Amino acid sequence: MLFRILDPQTKTNQFWRDFDRLNDELTRSILNDQFGSSSHFPPVNVYTKEDEALVTCLLPGMDTDQIEINVKDNMLSIHGKKKAEDLAEGTEVHRREIFHGEFHRTLELPFRVNQDQVSAKYVNGVLNIHLPRREEDKPKKVSINIG
Amino acid sequence: MNTLTTENKQTLDEKAGVKEVQPQVRVYSPNVDVYETENTILFRVEMPGVDETSVEITIEKDQLQLEGKFKMGAEEKGQVRLAEYKEGNYFRKFTISKAIDSEKAVAKMKNGILELSIPKIEPKKTKIEIRNS
Repeated sequence: MLFRILDPQTKTNQFWRDFDRLNDELTRSILNDQFGSSSHFPPVNVYTKEDEALVTCLLPGMDTDQIEINVKDNMLSIHGKKKAEDLAEGTEVHRREIFHGEFHRTLELPFRVNQDQVSAKYVNGVLNIHLPRREEDKPKKVSINIG
Repeated sequence: MNTLTTENKQTLDEKAGVKEVQPQVRVYSPNVDVYETENTILFRVEMPGVDETSVEITIEKDQLQLEGKFKMGAEEKGQVRLAEYKEGNYFRKFTISKAIDSEKAVAKMKNGILELSIPKIEPKKTKIEIRNS
């Protein structure tokens, strides 16, 4: 909220209600301006093909052992902890914008996944997760015999 | 909160009826940590998806400029289900108020984070004698 006029009960005037709505939307759009809203850390992209899904996520500066990926049926969850930089004594902090702390994201995929064959790689701070579709879940082609 | 990026400025201009020809590349303002120790200034810049070959760092007098190109993998990915980020460029500029030795700056890139350390220099003291004429 950029700012809010107090005491919303008295706001019967259409103008102030419109103003509030505009205010709300502006604030949200500014917050979401960068890579999605902060409650959606890390930002992800999801791509699907007929037999597999690819989830990519922007996770700079992680140790791979601090990332936990869990898959169950069609749910993928990414969990992790990003450590804050250890600072030597006497270091002066001018700016601290880089996120640190715990994060958790759960995504629903359009099909069930073969857990045993999920693979992930981490390159240049981008995490790529390949999720193959479960065999029994794949669409089956039925051939029609004309006879 | 990050400042307005080129992209935002563009859409604002469009809404205001101002037409300006600009390349259709997203420009992101990367998150930055800036630390200062006794003899160095340290920048940590979040540039996920950027490899070291596409990073450009320039220091001109007290102006530090950081740029990086973010390209997604070219592999065939299939249908897009969710897109919370897109490829684009990272760009940010800083003014450094301390005396620095830009020749001795060291930069490295690891896991999408650029670390740049610039040594400070003690400003030279010159004492000026007043001559009696």
